[in-house]
Amino acid sequence: MTAVSPDAPRIWSAARGPVLIGVIILFAAIVITLLRGSGEGGALDPRSFRPEGSHAVARLLEQNGVRVELTDSASAVDGATLFVTQPNLIDPQRLEDLTRRASATVLLAPAGGRSRLEPETRQPGCPLADRAGPATMGGFTYEGEQSCYDSTLVRTGTVTTIGYGGIFTNRDVDEEGNAALALSLLGQHERLVWYVPSEADRSQQKSLTGLIPDGWKYGALQLGVAAVLIALWRARRLGRVVPEPLPVVVRAAETVKGRARLYRRSHAASHAASVLRQATRDRLAPLLGVPQGDDPSEEIARRTSRPVTSVRALLYDKEPVDDRGLVALAHSLDALENEVRKA
Amino acid sequence: MALTGRAGLLALIGVLVVGLVLPSWQGILVLFGLLVLCVAVDLVLAAGVRRLTFSRAGATAVRTGEPCVVQLTVHNPGRRLRGVLRDAWAPSAGVVADRVAVDVPAGGSRVLSFELRPVRRGDRVADRVTVRSHGPLGIAARQGSHVVPWTVRALPPFHSRRHLPPLLERLRELDGRRASLIRGAGTEFDSLRTYVIGDDVRSIDWRASARSSDVVVRTWRPERDRQVTIVLDTARTSAGRVEGALGGLPRLDTAMDAALLLSALASQARDQVDFLAFSHQVRASVPRATLPVLVRAMAPLEAELVEFDARGAVAEVLRRAGRRSLVVLLTALEPSIEHGLLPLLPALATRHHLLIASVSDPAVHAMAAGRGDLEAVYAAAAAERTLAERRRLTALLARHGVDVVDALPDDLPRALADRYLALKAAGKL
Repeated sequence: MTAVSPDAPRIWSAARGPVLIGVIILFAAIVITLLRGSGEGGALDPRSFRPEGSHAVARLLEQNGVRVELTDSASAVDGATLFVTQPNLIDPQRLEDLTRRASATVLLAPAGGRSRLEPETRQPGCPLADRAGPATMGGFTYEGEQSCYDSTLVRTGTVTTIGYGGIFTNRDVDEEGNAALALSLLGQHERLVWYVPSEADRSQQKSLTGLIPDGWKYGALQLGVAAVLIALWRARRLGRVVPEPLPVVVRAAETVKGRARLYRRSHAASHAASVLRQATRDRLAPLLGVPQGDDPSEEIARRTSRPVTSVRALLYDKEPVDDRGLVALAHSLDALENEVRKA
Repeated sequence: MALTGRAGLLALIGVLVVGLVLPSWQGILVLFGLLVLCVAVDLVLAAGVRRLTFSRAGATAVRTGEPCVVQLTVHNPGRRLRGVLRDAWAPSAGVVADRVAVDVPAGGSRVLSFELRPVRRGDRVADRVTVRSHGPLGIAARQGSHVVPWTVRALPPFHSRRHLPPLLERLRELDGRRASLIRGAGTEFDSLRTYVIGDDVRSIDWRASARSSDVVVRTWRPERDRQVTIVLDTARTSAGRVEGALGGLPRLDTAMDAALLLSALASQARDQVDFLAFSHQVRASVPRATLPVLVRAMAPLEAELVEFDARGAVAEVLRRAGRRSLVVLLTALEPSIEHGLLPLLPALATRHHLLIASVSDPAVHAMAAGRGDLEAVYAAAAAERTLAERRRLTALLARHGVDVVDALPDDLPRALADRYLALKAAGKL
């Protein structure tokens, strides 16, 4: 009989290709991640040294005694300035809740802008930004209680809306009065929560069932009915199962194996040795022409070059042997038998 | 009743209807009601299965492993029947395809053929015939079963029949029908004929040659019309599985093969064969057996887990065999023979010649040759112990005048037949 279940070499030869591909993909992913990791942070990230990053502004704020906390899931905003770089990514309800709790809020280009202006140096034209003077402003225009820089910077209550984020970037922070404006906007309180929304904030807070139209809830119930009917179809047998009267299976060699295990468990090495010696004598006797039961040692010694005493010791020794000796004895008996057969 | 896949498919289409048109409880109820209505219509209009009548014809016996065909006739007294029919048999009957599509017109009949290829010896009994009758819509079906009894007897495969031609050739040589007649082949004087070159000079009958103008030789022929009683042991030891060329088979199957070859040969040699299967009682008994009868008698025999009753078997043999015969006992050479059969030998051996044929186990020989680690050497010792026991028993039996054939499963039929021919040639029957 041939075994059909695969063995280790066959499994390896079959799996080699996929494993190799997997290793290559893993290696490539690690390399790409490592190369990318050096350019940490994106636009308006207070850790980023790139031109569009905001490390300079963050440093300036810290030098003026403002603690900057970068977060991607603003929660503790009470008594702090909240700076939201991408307010459009946040659920409006949540944003409203955050602005209510924060002492001051700066929103960068939220939805609801009216017209779009090119970023350029503009005059403040309002008391809110008089100290800063002209600054690089532009982007969307908004409406509010106080309006500066051609309506690109407005304030309503504690919420300041700014249409263009150029003044916060490393590239433009040293132009005109950009730095002063940024400091006056973000340094209103001792703590600044710098909120860079992540993709997770975009997700709607609706559950899965809320997204399904009501009609399909009944459709799902009907699907259940269909499943029950299909189960009934598949479960019905075409006639009963027919039993097979099987004969008993007894391996003829079972008792012999049982005896071998008994020998092994009781360490009956001496007994096993005498059985093996007897078997060798019985097999050699007809080869040598010695009557069954007689001592064949002398005849063996005559045909082979072995001394009689050693042959007799091998075939008749009654000395007790241990397990290790038994294995050795089996091999020497085999060697003797082969020698006689060749002679 | 039974539903079909269409019922489930309709319900699935209903998902679209409910989802797009009727998204309410009422919608689901309406669709379910429609479905139930369709099922009811189908069940009412489907042909009844209770009143169908069946009959069978075809093979009643086949050699194990070979194909045969059993026909099933369906008679439909009611409406036209369309559906599926399953003729269920036990797996070992080896039905190639037990499900067929049926279409029986009203009042008509159809004959369906099922091919069987039994994989195991013995009586293979048909179970039930189940019919599923579909309605016109194909959504639901009526279903019912009928008992249509039929038995196919899977006969012993008789693999060793390939040994028969060379054995028959040798038998003819013994018989003197070939030119290569030699002296001693047989003990019964047959006839005188003219010497031809090649004849043994020792067979020249000088007295007859003196009366004739030619040199005349005597021809001999082996005895005929002797009795051979084959006793098959179906008790405990015959259940043991032994690995051979055909996979693991019970000793019983190998013994049957040997018995079949021997009886085929013996009947060709015009000896009379009696067959007896015995465990603790008579299992099968065929006096004056011919091969077909013997094969049929052997087919249903199974090994039983009881001890072989040697006393009962010997009594049965003595009762049946009136004149001197060759008693062939197919059993296993196990120590139980010593206190079972051995004390009874004098009663048997005075009147008959006993030949014991035994299946030896290649696994034991393989174990005896095992070396390497401790476990293998202990196994070798245990196997040698068993083999020594068999040698001792063989010697003991030989001292009582019993012939012993102890061979591996693949060799036993041939070895037993050879021994029979040797006994015949020596005129010991």
